[in-house]
Amino acid sequence: MKKADVVTGVVLLVLSGYVIREAWLMPPSATFGPGSGFLPFWLGVLLAALAVILLGTAWRRKATEKDRTSPFPGTKALMAIGSVLGGLAAYIVLLEILGFLADTFLYVAFLLGVVEREKWSITLLVAASTTAGLYLIFQVLLGITLPSNMFGF
Amino acid sequence: MDIFHNIILGFQVASSWENLLFCFIGTLIGTLIGVLPGIGPTTGVAILIPITFGMNATTAIITMCGVYYGAMYGGSTTSILLNVPGESSSVMTTLDGYQMAKNGRPGPALGMAALSSFIAGTFAVLMLTLIAPVLANYAVSFGPPEYFALTFMGLTMVTSLGGDSPLKGIISGVLGLIFACVGIDAISGVARFTYDNMNLLDGVGFIGMAVGLFAASEVLVNIESPMQQIFTEAKLNFLSLFPNLQDWKDSFGAIWRGSVIGFFVGVLPGAGATISSFMAYAVEKKVSKHPEKFGTGVIEGVAAPEGANNSAAGGAMVPLLTLGIPGSGTTAVMLGALLIHGLRPGPLLFSTHPDFVWGLIASMYIGNVMLVIQNMPMIGLWVRLLKVPYKVLMPLIITISAVGVFATDNNIFDMWVMLFFGVIGYVMRKLDYPPAPMVLALVLGPMVEMSLRQSLTISHGNMAIFFTRPISGTLTILALLSLFAPLFRILWSKYRRGKMAAA
Repeated sequence: MKKADVVTGVVLLVLSGYVIREAWLMPPSATFGPGSGFLPFWLGVLLAALAVILLGTAWRRKATEKDRTSPFPGTKALMAIGSVLGGLAAYIVLLEILGFLADTFLYVAFLLGVVEREKWSITLLVAASTTAGLYLIFQVLLGITLPSNMFGF
Repeated sequence: MDIFHNIILGFQVASSWENLLFCFIGTLIGTLIGVLPGIGPTTGVAILIPITFGMNATTAIITMCGVYYGAMYGGSTTSILLNVPGESSSVMTTLDGYQMAKNGRPGPALGMAALSSFIAGTFAVLMLTLIAPVLANYAVSFGPPEYFALTFMGLTMVTSLGGDSPLKGIISGVLGLIFACVGIDAISGVARFTYDNMNLLDGVGFIGMAVGLFAASEVLVNIESPMQQIFTEAKLNFLSLFPNLQDWKDSFGAIWRGSVIGFFVGVLPGAGATISSFMAYAVEKKVSKHPEKFGTGVIEGVAAPEGANNSAAGGAMVPLLTLGIPGSGTTAVMLGALLIHGLRPGPLLFSTHPDFVWGLIASMYIGNVMLVIQNMPMIGLWVRLLKVPYKVLMPLIITISAVGVFATDNNIFDMWVMLFFGVIGYVMRKLDYPPAPMVLALVLGPMVEMSLRQSLTISHGNMAIFFTRPISGTLTILALLSLFAPLFRILWSKYRRGKMAAA
């Protein structure tokens, strides 16, 4: 965790520098009170101070047993997480092209069949019923128009 | 008697068939969420916002509240039967509850958990009925400095009391406030951090953020550590659930102490159900004539924490409804939902929307009764539900979240917001940063900024305005104290160590 704290500290410090700069460039107040850059500026300063404290404490304390193991999981689990997220990104991009029904069916099938390596029969059954259930809740019961493809479904 | 008049109005609202139905559905879903490990009440409420979007505000919040206290009930079932707490607030229940189940008395443990929850939940609603209007009346006179002090205190208490590292809680809160600055500044009309993106002019979408931080990141964490399938051999029938006379005698005090502790801890911003159940258990062990028996399966050890966590869920509604200050992640999400429905919780809510407030309070009495009825005969069914593998739940949670986030505004961009905060939330969980302060800060951010700048405009830029007015002065000092409390603790322990070394 020591290394993680140092890395997050640096990232937060860079972020706070950016926020301070942006806030500085905002137009000044037109009234007696503070303007639109006031709160972001001081939040940036506060964040910078907190990042310094984080870095300082991480620097000074001795590495514990917990520090030696990375907080993040091994390659295999990271791959699974990456494919869930990548699949979600693809799902979002394809939603208005494939339409809700086909897109959702494919994404659930991908999650179960490829990521979780479930049997194909179960995968298809769950994908179909999840898609049907969501369609029923959102389109039929709640009356929300879900995206459809060029063929109209 | 004003209060009777109001309560009757409330029951009229709450007993419409629509509200009764959704109160039932809400408590049912809540119990389900409480039973299933890997999905918590905050996630449940966040996912439900889009689904309740089309309802009127009262029905929507009745449903969400049902989920909230339903999850408190459901969490106890798995704690007792399987030693797996469904929520952090039922961790204490495992100590004696699981032991009771192992000693062949799972029935009375489950029954006492449900009945203690019922009594404590009802007590909390009763206290809410009595205290909330008084507090709301008092708060009507608040001006911008008081509101700033109040929101500031809400934020500092949540950040410093929640989580192991106060520093990380504060960082999470400050980041949330920075995210809240995105969009058009309500006072001057300047676009901030929008990068010429139309979708960001309105600010970071609250639903996308809440669902991403809670639901999506929870799924990601669960993927990497696959849950074991768990079964129980316990045979349960309806009659075996009732505690006997001796059990009642043993638990009577525990239930009442748990109710009172739970309610007052729940009212405090930042403390909430988990801390209250720890405190109630500790107190019970202290006052008990046989403290050494705790942990071996005594029924007081089940009754006290279960009562406390339900009572805390009711207590948390007091600051939410009267001051618009949520005390926990779940109530922060509910506040966001209320704002979406065009209701601004705060002292004026009681006079402008009495039908909403009292309808909600009345529905909580009804919901508590529904939960006892649902839980006592249906416990066997809930236990069987645990056999649904997480593999099947995972795609369901992701897709229902994604589609729900889309459905609120018919906007694909909100789904990207969810994905972004899903990743942020995952990293935060891994590095022990609590996500609740960030959501709370996003919800309270606009209010904090508005009241801060209005106050400073009134005082021509003089910060003293927050300290010279009695109410805002007290609140600001309390907020600063809670912010620096961890620092004082460190200094105090150093001082003591130094003294011991000198002696």
